[in-house]
Amino acid sequence: MSFFGFGQSADIEIKLDGTDTRKLADIKSDDGKKERFYLYYDGESVTGQVNIVLKKHGSKLEHQGIKIEFIGQIELYYDRGNHHEFVSLVKELARPGELIQNTTYKFEFLNVEKPFESYTGSNVRLRYLLRVTLVRRLSDIIKELDIIVHTLSSYPEMNSPIKMEVGIEDCLHIEFEYNKCKYHLKDVIVGKIYFLLVRIKIKHMEIATLISYLFLRYHLKDVIRNLPLQASVYSTLNSTWSIAHGPNVFNENETIAKYEIMDGAPVRGESIPIRVFLAGYDLAPTMRDINKKFSVKYFLNLVLMDEEDRRYFKQQEITLWRKGEKSHKGGVSVSHSPHVPRHLVSGEGGPKGSEEPPREEPMAPPLDSMRREGDSQSPTSSNPGSD
Amino acid sequence: MTPLPSPSEEQDRLLEEASHIVKTQSLQMKRCLDSDKLMDALKHASTMLSELRTSLLSPKNYYELYMAVTDELRQLELYLVDEFQRGRKVPDLYELVQYAGNIVPRLYLLITVALVYIKTNSSLKRDLLKDLVEMCRGVQHPLRGLFLRNYLLQCTRNVLPDTPEDEGDQAEGTVRDSVDFILMNFAEMNKLWVRMQHQGHSRDKERREREREELRILVGTNLVRLSELESVTRDKYKKLVLPGILEQVVSCRDAIAQEYLMECIIQVFPDEFHLATLTAFLKSCAELQPGVNVKNILIALIDRLSLYAQKNKEFNTLFETFSEQVASIVQSRIAMPAEDIVALQVSLINLALKCYPDKVDYIDKILQTTVETFQKLNIERVEYNTPVSRELTRLLKIFIDQYNNVLTVIQLTYFAPLMELFDFYGRKSVSAYLISNALTNETLIPTSESVDSILTIVSSLVQDQEDQPAEEEDPEDFAEEQGLLGRFVHQFKSDIPDQQYLILSTSRKHFQLGGKKRIKHTLPPLVFQAYQLATQFSALREEDEMWSKKCSKIFRFCHQIILSLIKAELAELPLRLFLQGAMTIGSIDFENHETISYEFISQALSLYEEEISESKCQLAAITLLVGTFEKMSCFGEENAEPIRTQSALAASKLFKKPDQCSGVCTCSHLFWSGKNNQGEEIRDGKRVLECLKKGVRIASQCMDMSVQVQLFIELLNHYIYYFEKKNEHITVAMLNQLIGKIRDELANLESNDETEQISKHFTNTLFHLRNRLEGPPVEGISYEGLTL
Repeated sequence: MSFFGFGQSADIEIKLDGTDTRKLADIKSDDGKKERFYLYYDGESVTGQVNIVLKKHGSKLEHQGIKIEFIGQIELYYDRGNHHEFVSLVKELARPGELIQNTTYKFEFLNVEKPFESYTGSNVRLRYLLRVTLVRRLSDIIKELDIIVHTLSSYPEMNSPIKMEVGIEDCLHIEFEYNKCKYHLKDVIVGKIYFLLVRIKIKHMEIATLISYLFLRYHLKDVIRNLPLQASVYSTLNSTWSIAHGPNVFNENETIAKYEIMDGAPVRGESIPIRVFLAGYDLAPTMRDINKKFSVKYFLNLVLMDEEDRRYFKQQEITLWRKGEKSHKGGVSVSHSPHVPRHLVSGEGGPKGSEEPPREEPMAPPLDSMRREGDSQSPTSSNPGSD
Repeated sequence: MTPLPSPSEEQDRLLEEASHIVKTQSLQMKRCLDSDKLMDALKHASTMLSELRTSLLSPKNYYELYMAVTDELRQLELYLVDEFQRGRKVPDLYELVQYAGNIVPRLYLLITVALVYIKTNSSLKRDLLKDLVEMCRGVQHPLRGLFLRNYLLQCTRNVLPDTPEDEGDQAEGTVRDSVDFILMNFAEMNKLWVRMQHQGHSRDKERREREREELRILVGTNLVRLSELESVTRDKYKKLVLPGILEQVVSCRDAIAQEYLMECIIQVFPDEFHLATLTAFLKSCAELQPGVNVKNILIALIDRLSLYAQKNKEFNTLFETFSEQVASIVQSRIAMPAEDIVALQVSLINLALKCYPDKVDYIDKILQTTVETFQKLNIERVEYNTPVSRELTRLLKIFIDQYNNVLTVIQLTYFAPLMELFDFYGRKSVSAYLISNALTNETLIPTSESVDSILTIVSSLVQDQEDQPAEEEDPEDFAEEQGLLGRFVHQFKSDIPDQQYLILSTSRKHFQLGGKKRIKHTLPPLVFQAYQLATQFSALREEDEMWSKKCSKIFRFCHQIILSLIKAELAELPLRLFLQGAMTIGSIDFENHETISYEFISQALSLYEEEISESKCQLAAITLLVGTFEKMSCFGEENAEPIRTQSALAASKLFKKPDQCSGVCTCSHLFWSGKNNQGEEIRDGKRVLECLKKGVRIASQCMDMSVQVQLFIELLNHYIYYFEKKNEHITVAMLNQLIGKIRDELANLESNDETEQISKHFTNTLFHLRNRLEGPPVEGISYEGLTL
């Protein structure tokens, strides 16, 4: 009996094949630390061997069978202990019997489907693991090994720029432009903001000052917990992440990074360049309706701030995808010397620095209106995400 | 309660705090660099740079902070260049620094790192420069943006590509890229600078403008950089650089910026460039804001180019170009004050005089334009000492001084019309200036036409004016100004006597209108000129058979002039002129000269009798009359006797006894050294003695003893004079008698200063006699029997 130090016990070791060539990837663990595991892609076989090392030499180990499972599961933190497995494969390594010496079993999960990306967010976790179970009468011996799965996307066929004209009627009209709507995780967002109208109403001194000093920032959003809507700082925003839970949908937002792209007050006709490197942030691809449990979406939120820290904002969804390391379709940047900076304004893709902003008059309403934080019209029960 | 800190104390405190953080962070940055912890060093650099995000500092203090920060950034740059050159390149450094969350530190770092890239791998130059200048758009705050872009300019100073467009490497870039780079930076900086004007409360306008003044050099530096590019040829400047600058300058519609930048352009670029682009530049001047002092800009340009063109004569259309463009600028700027327009003409004149000294018609054209300008502005009179008047005076003085020749000046058709624009004082001031110029340069006016035009131009000095103020002028000033005119008359000089006569009669016509205040200054020199002319004709008698008639015509001319002076209630002056005339006539033996001379003398005598009443003046006049007549030898006895007698009579009729005495003594000479028409002295010793005796008699009648003694001593001197001249009617006994009488009276005089002087005179006289007695004998004179 192992409880009391009697009887035989064993250590289980899972060894994957080809680890000398296989890449490792990082992922956050439950407690926020970084862990490093071997990286697999969808459809790849997961093979290896299981070593069972007996702890006491010369003593036999009786068991009711040894099996290895390949599991893909979603853990929702609000629903702890209730794991949703979307993949579960089992291989029997040994029928019930006795082990009298250290034994090695090979295993193979051939061409395993791994439809989703490994992910650890602040209230959801999607993980893949191998679990070896040596079944015994009283307590099984279990060994788990995580692997990481990256879902690769091919270069998007359609990747048109995002262009949008927004504003507050008669006060502020801007047009912004991002060079794409879909970015890979190491991509650079290149864009431009044109100020079509910056009007100061001198009659009302407070308002005048209010508009004359605006700060503009980006917010990248990701998912967090299922807090009540009202408590959210960004409660007026569209949903960024939804968890389907019965008939209810909970949203939560999180600002990943703030990035100042303009300092000072522009005047009509100015254009401000935008360039954000995504590689510096720890991002995962956009995930939509993963196993009907959750979605992770990203938004670029353009925030103008006035002198009194009032904010005006407009958000726009972008899709993030993971680019394969090897196969590229044309159009993506060719190899760079590691020392040559990419994404200069003069480079390919993205609006040219010297281009003049479009001069056409701001369109008459319907303008896509910007939101002003604290506006009486901005309902807290604003339209939740359609996804 | 502690008092609130003053704004300047508050500023000092803020600056000190910020500087402290900069010091600490830079120290840590350097420590990290020393231990090769680049990422940490960058973090400290970024924190340090965050101090530049402040909105609280004044421009001056922000500049201080900027200097401190950028000094420290240099350390980072040096370190990185060093590392890169040693081959230890940091991958994606250019990307890494762009993760800085705040834009101001981010861009400073980006510029610093880009410079390192450029220095170690010039093939990136072109793209990096473009990237930087574009990314800097993110800072729209005027002060922070200006300094950021200044940092960009400062960093890239020595790495801007400067090879001709067709030679350069594509990646390294060519001068074209540099021009684009700077022009864009310039445009952005200028926009930021201009924007400062429109921010904040209107009551702070003055302070804002002062702050803008402090910052303007940052904008101007762009132009300096452009001028430093050696591959910018004249052609490139014309087609690319200048249009780029001007487009921005004109479109910013800000007076302060426009004025500063236009002057900047003039200063930083070479003259040849300006010459090649003159029209374009001047056209832009016409489009500047109404508040811009276009005058200063144009003057700066004209002055610069005229210096250049003076040395390089090939630019012969310079004047035309300027004059056309200035005209169109003036036309387009309705609000331009008249003095500014004139000031522009002044610099055009400078240009014309420096570059085309022979082209008087250029000057005339400018004057014409000026006159027409005033017509358009409906200005008929320019008040003295106003800005316009000062500029206009400057305009005229410039070429008066340049030509130093009144004759050239009066050739200008539009000089006189321009003079007419001045009010009375203005005209007088310029007239006096013109005449002084002629006097200083001893310019001779050789024709009656010239005299006529000059005297017309300076008519404000010559005669009363319609717009003359009623009150009297300061007599000293007036005398000085008229004296000038009097001196000027002597410059009326032709080598041809007939012409000279015309000159004089023309002058007379002008001066005659001057009124009695003026003619006493202006006519006498004319009379003297005429006397000289008569002498001249006399000398030419061999060549000109009409000389005699001409002489008498001249004297008739003088006669009339002098009569007109008499009409002006003058007496002494005409008397003197008559006497001078008589003497001149006496020396020229033209037909009738005796008669005319007699007329002059008799006129003088009648003046004496009728007009001179003050006794001192009378005595002086008698003395003058006697002196003149004594010198003359043209009269026959028939004419001479009445004059002599009349003079003696007049002398004896003087009012005061002492005067009578002196007068009679003076007259005695008429009978001794006075001449007949053969030029011989008449030496009528008897009449002389009569005069002297009469003198003694009169002296004896004086009640004041000290005066009497004085007169006796004078008489003694006369006696001695005639004795020594061998007048046999004078005897030693007479001398003894007189000496004795003087001795007696002298002893009775009170001793005082006056007596002292009198006895000194007597002693000196006796001393003379003693010398005669004791000295070597003089032929025919014997003082024998003289008792001293």
